[in-house]
Amino acid sequence: MAEQSVLTVNIVTPDGSVYEEQTTMAIFKTTVGEIGVLPNHVPVLASLQIDEVRVKIDGTDDKFEEIAVSGGFVEFSNNIATVVANSAELKENIDLERAERARKRAEEKLARAKQEHDVDTLRRAEVSLRRAVNRLNISKH
Amino acid sequence: MGASLQEVKRRISSTKKTEQITGAMQMVSTAKLSQIQRHTTSYQVYANKIRSVITHLAQSHLLDGKVVSDSASTPKKDKNQVSGLDMLTKRNVKHTGIVVITSDRGLVGSYNSNVIKQTMELIKNAGHTADDTVIIALGGTGADFFKKRGYNVAFEYRGIDDIPKFRDTQQLVKKIVGMYDDETYDELFVCYNHFVNSLTSEFRAEQMLPISAINIGSDNLAQKPEEGYAPVYEMEPSQDAILEVVLPQYAESLVYGAILDAKTSEHASSSTAMKSATDNAKDIISSLELQFNRARQSAITTEITEITGAQAALD
Repeated sequence: MAEQSVLTVNIVTPDGSVYEEQTTMAIFKTTVGEIGVLPNHVPVLASLQIDEVRVKIDGTDDKFEEIAVSGGFVEFSNNIATVVANSAELKENIDLERAERARKRAEEKLARAKQEHDVDTLRRAEVSLRRAVNRLNISKH
Repeated sequence: MGASLQEVKRRISSTKKTEQITGAMQMVSTAKLSQIQRHTTSYQVYANKIRSVITHLAQSHLLDGKVVSDSASTPKKDKNQVSGLDMLTKRNVKHTGIVVITSDRGLVGSYNSNVIKQTMELIKNAGHTADDTVIIALGGTGADFFKKRGYNVAFEYRGIDDIPKFRDTQQLVKKIVGMYDDETYDELFVCYNHFVNSLTSEFRAEQMLPISAINIGSDNLAQKPEEGYAPVYEMEPSQDAILEVVLPQYAESLVYGAILDAKTSEHASSSTAMKSATDNAKDIISSLELQFNRARQSAITTEITEITGAQAALD
């Protein structure tokens, strides 16, 4: 494998590829902490948190593209990082209203589940709340 | 004769209207078909990626023979935990879950009857009865059929989008896969029509849960040598933890893929059915027109004979 100075970040969801760009650095939030991937990193497989993926915009010093992902995992090998997630959105594509609605809905569900001690629903509501808040956070950066 | 002339005329115009409708429906279905096919290609990228990772990860599990061990050897997990690894473990089968994907409406030719017939055969051949089968019906036709026959329809869903997006289908798919955790069923088959090309589709029954060597292992072993696919990964946090995340996602993507495939073939058979309906209408119209012209001709001939007859009598 020849040494390269860039890596490709590819984000795929069941509804198609969301993002594909070359970059010099990508930062992923995994379930156990943040990892930064530079070109020629060793192959990595990591599960992601419901959070953002930050990809340095090529040719800039400290500008990052921020992409909201809902969990999933990242696979890095041969200088290609593939994020496989159920959904992912670029910062500018986030539907604020929808996310806000989802947040309200999740909060209501959460409150109800707490009252009824329904652990199953509680967990599910927490996840959807996290997803909604993640979207909102990223779009407000 | 005059009344019948009128009648034929009316029939022609009504058949023409039907032809217009079926023709329009055919165009709609064809448009949807090409749309969904585009969507399927982009889904394929995702599915391939997730499968290659799964194969890589699950390999050691599969080769360990962990999968073959029955449920007795694995300790019972906390019920409230989403258990990805459980999806690799074969349990004693008490209930067989069968997802039947049909359409909501008719006008799709033999699409529905094909799926239902073959599913019934599958149930019969496997020796299942109505008691140990749990039907999950996607689409109204299948739901009605199995309910009527006294099967246990654990879940039914109508109104899947014409071009199902994962975003919208996610809840549904999660629910179906989640039933495995609730032990509503212990193995899951998905029965649907697989899209071959726009004229043919073939019935498929795939076992999706538990995820076994058959679903992922066999083609992997065949592929491996020439691909040279074996980067050694650094696992973050651990292989099992990643499997926990990836396996449910994989199962969901499988079910979603089946829905997508079924919808594709639904559009295809709808388009074919509407095409043959339109062709039929054209045939009927041409034979009616022939009939109409004949009737008109004979009416004219009679009229002429009458006139000439009257003329001759006057002369």
